[in-house]
Amino acid sequence: MSQQEQEKVLVWVHGDRLDPAGEALQAYPDAPAVFVFDQELLAQYRLSFKRVVFLYECLLEIEDIQIRKGDVADELALVAAELNCSRIVTVNTVAPRFAEICQKLRQEKKLPVEIIEPEPFIELDKDEAEELDLKRFSRYWQAVSGRALSLKY
Amino acid sequence: MSQTENKSGSLRTDFASREEMLEYLKEIFPAEYANSPQVSETRGGRKAAEQKLKAIDPAQYASTRNSLEGAVTRLSPYLRHGVLSLYEVRRIALEHAGEGAGKLVNELAWRDYWQRVYGSIGNGIWQDREPYKTGFQASDYAAEVSPDLRSGKTGLVCMDSFVQELEETGYLHNHPRMWLAAYLVHHRRIRWQAGASWFLEHLLDGDPASNNLSWQWVASTFSTKPYFFDKGNLERNTAGIYCRVCPLAQRGCPFDASIEQLQSRLFPNQSSKPPQDNFARQNRGGGKRR
Repeated sequence: MSQQEQEKVLVWVHGDRLDPAGEALQAYPDAPAVFVFDQELLAQYRLSFKRVVFLYECLLEIEDIQIRKGDVADELALVAAELNCSRIVTVNTVAPRFAEICQKLRQEKKLPVEIIEPEPFIELDKDEAEELDLKRFSRYWQAVSGRALSLKY
Repeated sequence: MSQTENKSGSLRTDFASREEMLEYLKEIFPAEYANSPQVSETRGGRKAAEQKLKAIDPAQYASTRNSLEGAVTRLSPYLRHGVLSLYEVRRIALEHAGEGAGKLVNELAWRDYWQRVYGSIGNGIWQDREPYKTGFQASDYAAEVSPDLRSGKTGLVCMDSFVQELEETGYLHNHPRMWLAAYLVHHRRIRWQAGASWFLEHLLDGDPASNNLSWQWVASTFSTKPYFFDKGNLERNTAGIYCRVCPLAQRGCPFDASIEQLQSRLFPNQSSKPPQDNFARQNRGGGKRR
């Protein structure tokens, strides 16, 4: 048996990738999936009710998802323990909060986290991405527009 | 077992109707409901996103997007939460319209650009990226949105209508976003961070990267000059619907002046060099992010 077959995976769905066919859900179609409303973040941003409703409606279209509310890492660890999952799988996002939660899962909860890259707007290799001049949009657009406007990429 | 959670602490997903779901969510999210109880007509979910995606018209978008009645896509809430990907929308736009999709793809690229900047500076998106180019220091700006503005009671029909729409629908066309932002930062001299936080409370597409960096563009802390507008620009792009019923339209409208007059009134400490770029923006139908 491969390591992946032995390990039971828990898919963490977050608010930056709510496509029911998102990368982590596609990669592990039989794994349980969880979304956690980040209680601290909700309070920090004073999110209005309509934003919560919109998110909830997105979540209801994701098959068999478990929706929770609280501290994200704590809740994920709790569900992982309940379901005997030994690894978290999710989709990458640049939000600093995401990195903080991943760190807590790994260090405090001792849960490995597999991060899948989302479908990019345009393919850039690592060097190209690092060399992009982000000082102004015009410079970025000059570098990427040829590919952005072509169906070949 | 409580009424609101099942045994394991997960929230309900079985609702017979939207009304039933809303009643349930009021119990689960009391603070958010107390803060702002409105519910948008815009539905979340992939199905709603796909309906909107089918309806996009990239060529019409290119020629009419500046107008409030223009063929804007309304895809932003779905893009913000990854219900749709930027790649998927780019591909469909190019398949439908070929070269005619250029403007729409350019706008999608803005969102990719903001994400890349966010990835590079993280929570630095809350800090001024550069000094203000308004002749004022950051400390000259108020820390909070004034109560009259937040409650849509400034007396300016345009601004008050935008505030009402923001709170009721969680959506604003790009132009009203920029006008409201410019009014808040430059006319009321409030820190852009206060405005950005306010928008994030309400916008269904509220994303810290796109939102904050666009506010910084208006404020001039992420651009070479502040963005502002005149009455003609607003009137033209709104078909005059606000000015026609505004008691201040004939006397007391803070936007009813030439660009040069507005420049010297709003930024008296700035050098008096004519704001050429603002002229250019106004002449082609109102500023767009640069």
